[in-house]
Amino acid sequence: MRFLSLFNHDSSRIQLRKSSGGIKPLSNKASSLRSRIMSTPIPKILVLPLLQHKGTPAKPIAKSGDRVLKGQKIAEAADASSAPVHAPTSGRITGIGLHALPDEFGTLAACITLASDGNDQAIKTTFTADFQNMSESDLLERIRDAGIVGMGGAGFPTYLKLQSSNEHPVDFLIINAVECEPYITADEALIREHACDVVTGANILKRVTGAKQCIVAIEDSKIDAIAELKLAALNSAIQIAIIPEKYTAGSEKQLIHSVTGREVPAGKYPASIGVSLHNTGTAFAIYKAICEAEPCISRITTVTGSTLKTPKNFHVLIGTPIAFLFDLCGVDQTKLSRIVVGGSLMGTCLPDINAPIIKTTNCLIAGSAEEFTEPQPEQACIRCSFCADVCPVNLLPQQLYASSRCQDYQQADNFGLFDCIECGACAYVCPSHIPLVQYYRASKSEIEKQRTNRHNADKWQARFQFHQYRYKREKKQKLLQSSSIEHQPETEHNKQADFSREKARLEISEAVARVKARRSKLITTSSVATEREDKP
Amino acid sequence: MNKVIYCSPQLNGQQSIGKIMLWVMTACIPGVAASTWFFGWGTVLNILVTMIFAVALEALILWLRNKSLRIHLADNSALLTAVIIGIAIPPGSPWWLLFSGICFAIVVAKHAYGGIGQNPFNPAMCGYVLLLLTFPLNMTTWHLPVDTLFDELQFSTLSWTSFMFSLQLCFPALTSDDVQLTEYLDGFAMATPLIEYELAKSSAVLVALKNNTSLFASTSNTGWEIVNFGFLLGGLFLLTKKIISWQIPLSIIMTITVLSLLFYAPGSTAVYGETYLHLFGSATMIGAFFIATDPVSAATTPMGRIIYGIIIGVAIYSIRVWGSYPDSIAIAVLLGNFFAPLIDHFCRPRIYGHSTRSGL
Amino acid sequence: MFPLIDTAYFQILAFTVLGVGIIWLILITFRYLKTESNKQQLSLIDQINALLPQTQCGHCGHPGCLPYARAISHGAAINQCPPGGKHTIQALSILLNQANEPLNPCHGEHTEPLVAVIREGECIGCTKCIQACPIDAILGGTKLMHTVIESECNGCDLCLEPCPVDCIDLIPRPGKQLRQWPLPSHIDVDQHNIGANP
Repeated sequence: MRFLSLFNHDSSRIQLRKSSGGIKPLSNKASSLRSRIMSTPIPKILVLPLLQHKGTPAKPIAKSGDRVLKGQKIAEAADASSAPVHAPTSGRITGIGLHALPDEFGTLAACITLASDGNDQAIKTTFTADFQNMSESDLLERIRDAGIVGMGGAGFPTYLKLQSSNEHPVDFLIINAVECEPYITADEALIREHACDVVTGANILKRVTGAKQCIVAIEDSKIDAIAELKLAALNSAIQIAIIPEKYTAGSEKQLIHSVTGREVPAGKYPASIGVSLHNTGTAFAIYKAICEAEPCISRITTVTGSTLKTPKNFHVLIGTPIAFLFDLCGVDQTKLSRIVVGGSLMGTCLPDINAPIIKTTNCLIAGSAEEFTEPQPEQACIRCSFCADVCPVNLLPQQLYASSRCQDYQQADNFGLFDCIECGACAYVCPSHIPLVQYYRASKSEIEKQRTNRHNADKWQARFQFHQYRYKREKKQKLLQSSSIEHQPETEHNKQADFSREKARLEISEAVARVKARRSKLITTSSVATEREDKP
Repeated sequence: MNKVIYCSPQLNGQQSIGKIMLWVMTACIPGVAASTWFFGWGTVLNILVTMIFAVALEALILWLRNKSLRIHLADNSALLTAVIIGIAIPPGSPWWLLFSGICFAIVVAKHAYGGIGQNPFNPAMCGYVLLLLTFPLNMTTWHLPVDTLFDELQFSTLSWTSFMFSLQLCFPALTSDDVQLTEYLDGFAMATPLIEYELAKSSAVLVALKNNTSLFASTSNTGWEIVNFGFLLGGLFLLTKKIISWQIPLSIIMTITVLSLLFYAPGSTAVYGETYLHLFGSATMIGAFFIATDPVSAATTPMGRIIYGIIIGVAIYSIRVWGSYPDSIAIAVLLGNFFAPLIDHFCRPRIYGHSTRSGL
Repeated sequence: MFPLIDTAYFQILAFTVLGVGIIWLILITFRYLKTESNKQQLSLIDQINALLPQTQCGHCGHPGCLPYARAISHGAAINQCPPGGKHTIQALSILLNQANEPLNPCHGEHTEPLVAVIREGECIGCTKCIQACPIDAILGGTKLMHTVIESECNGCDLCLEPCPVDCIDLIPRPGKQLRQWPLPSHIDVDQHNIGANP
């Protein structure tokens, strides 16, 4: 089915292809769109994880006790696949230690804790709003310096993405404003109020990537946002693609296929087919970084759920504790049953409410028990194939489930387990209430563990074989040496060699005695007893 | 805050096996209603008695297997099997016939393989074929209150008399020496509607329309065709609700259409009947929409379902025309079930981002 | 419509198509069988060795993984490898068509990944640990500082014994130990087996 887009400057229209699979759940978006985006007061403590992106953690450059200003870099990129971290407000760094991340396991990771002083004093920067006269490499450098990562949830460092798209010619630059997942309205609110800024960000991206076409893809139910976007894109070469409402239409690979007709090959990035896709929040952050010289220190986050008095979108500082945001919204603690980070289909439960907002947190849901009912008991698979009908990647979820359950990981890999985007559509429609995504995640981690073990085993086997070869080689050399020595008369040198072996043994026993003496002194003087078994 | 961490997705679509089975049973209602209108209470009684046996047997087996009755009985799968068997077994069959059929279907064809979702063969059809092989005479005898051949109404199909008639056929112990009751056992007995000579006739519905007689009058012989229309209606309803997929019914119907057009031979050899009669003068509609689409035993991939449907269609036509069974749906569906795992193995969809179908 | 099958034309066509179809099926079967047999068959010992973790630790009682693989091919028990854990035993049981057994505790316990660490202040530079390490993961020279290369060490603990000053520790491998979702358990469908309780 072809669906023609409604608006375009040049006469060419964007022909959308129908994406396979997908579901149409209730969107639950209206409640958080009733008001405008609200700014939050500055929290007293901000927790900034060093790893808010996909790649290696940033390296802290500020020390505990330092006074920092808003926008100051406090952690630099460790390597090419890392992104720097900036202070969201002025204050003092109180420590660099372990803190819970906002993920389902409450993983502890290194974080910089910042105590704000309330002044919100910004660092002095040179401010150039005129990005047209900057070179692409300058723009790229600014984006990298600002620590911008994919704000849609993936967290891929934007600099890295743009760099790889520089190696291939980019035909399409797509700004993803589809936001198909229920409950999340951050991108829609952003476009409603800052459409011009998003369009400027898109233009900057177009310049940097050198894309031939720039398309903003947005869902057809976001009527206000579409109107604003059309107005903002009036005098630019940006095209708007209006995607029919469906969950998984906004997933990166599915959107690329919908808009451009190209498929991202398995295991490769969109850059390899000439497509560069970025989230709306990323485009806005790029605008802020280039035109307002503000690094990535804040984002729009939807805070919603039926237990909140006033669900809305917030303009939050990165590092704000989630408990602080819930207090702002007026949460009904008696009805609160589940806190979800992300939307209702790909979001994760939050065990620790003191976890901070990071660069990729786009939504928080404070749900009641009626809203998020307890999962019903899992029953046998009846092979109805509802799951295969809704899978956007054309997988066979029932076969993946069967392979995962039997722990036949080779078979699961054959059926394309690693192509699964974990969108949750299959588990949503399953009439037997099978937690399919949990099966796939467990299998994926098990397969990766096995791959690591296999890789390690091969590495150690190679090292062991070399060790054996080296040992044989040395033995052969010694044999040769000794056979040549035997034919020589006993010389001074040989005598010295014997003598040095004796000397070595003596030295070793002296050294052992020294260490034993030192150790016994340590044991008697220190209050903590060391537990070691005595060796003869 | 959260004591238990749930894996995404945090919401689900509130679909359940019980609801699906209930919708399928609801979709059977038009066909069963038409059957009651034309042929009496036999089918309804069959269904009710089979349902009671089915639930009792399922409960017993689940108790023996230490499974929770509350969860597993709620999935309505035993009830659906009972409905299908009740429709398939001729009305007027004694209760022990129904009991044997449903017992084999539920205990052996379903639970002996591991319960719901584990059976390789369609349980209802397994029960039906067992009955066909062990009680061939009973299975090919239809007791009708209406004499369709001689256009004589013995008594109205919906009357209390008709109900008593069906009840006595079902539970022969209820017959007594009372003269009035035994009279009712003289209802006409005929083989199941799809018999060879039926295919030589032209469509009763078209004839009725031409003669301007009511389609629903018992004298117009449109009974069996209307029943099929009823099941077609139910099947289309299931399609719109997306409970069954379109590939299996469409490929079965298309295959039978193509074959019947190819081999159509009007004349003395009446088995090569019209396409219309093959589709509506037999049990094709119920087979295509309700029996072959049983999810557990059918093929699951889109392309696989089309091939599965083709195999079943070819089997239905071949056995009906060249074989010796009056109706071939059950055997054809079981034949398809044999091939389903092989079909699933070879007919996999192409995964997004892969150039060829996934490795076999 | 005409009765197609009565014409000789149709029958010849039908038989041709059928014949071609059967021959094609036979050819495909032969091609499939040939590719199966062409696959390289490793010797049994190599196949067993490929499943072992290659730590060369000797906990199984044999001086390395290849000798243990040889012993297994001659009938030794498959549950003697602690670093391999139950996954290795399961893989071996599938390969050799033997019963899956729990790990024999007299050979050790399956632990999390470990690495050796030398307390450098006490090291005397005797090189005994370097000679003991089966994969050359210790760097050092005579009377020079010894250190374990953490990325190469496999935690086999062969270096602990020879050290005369006992300055080597075996500690859990440092780094991000990522939590992962477990498979949903299936003890009974009627319990609410949902999610992981971290």
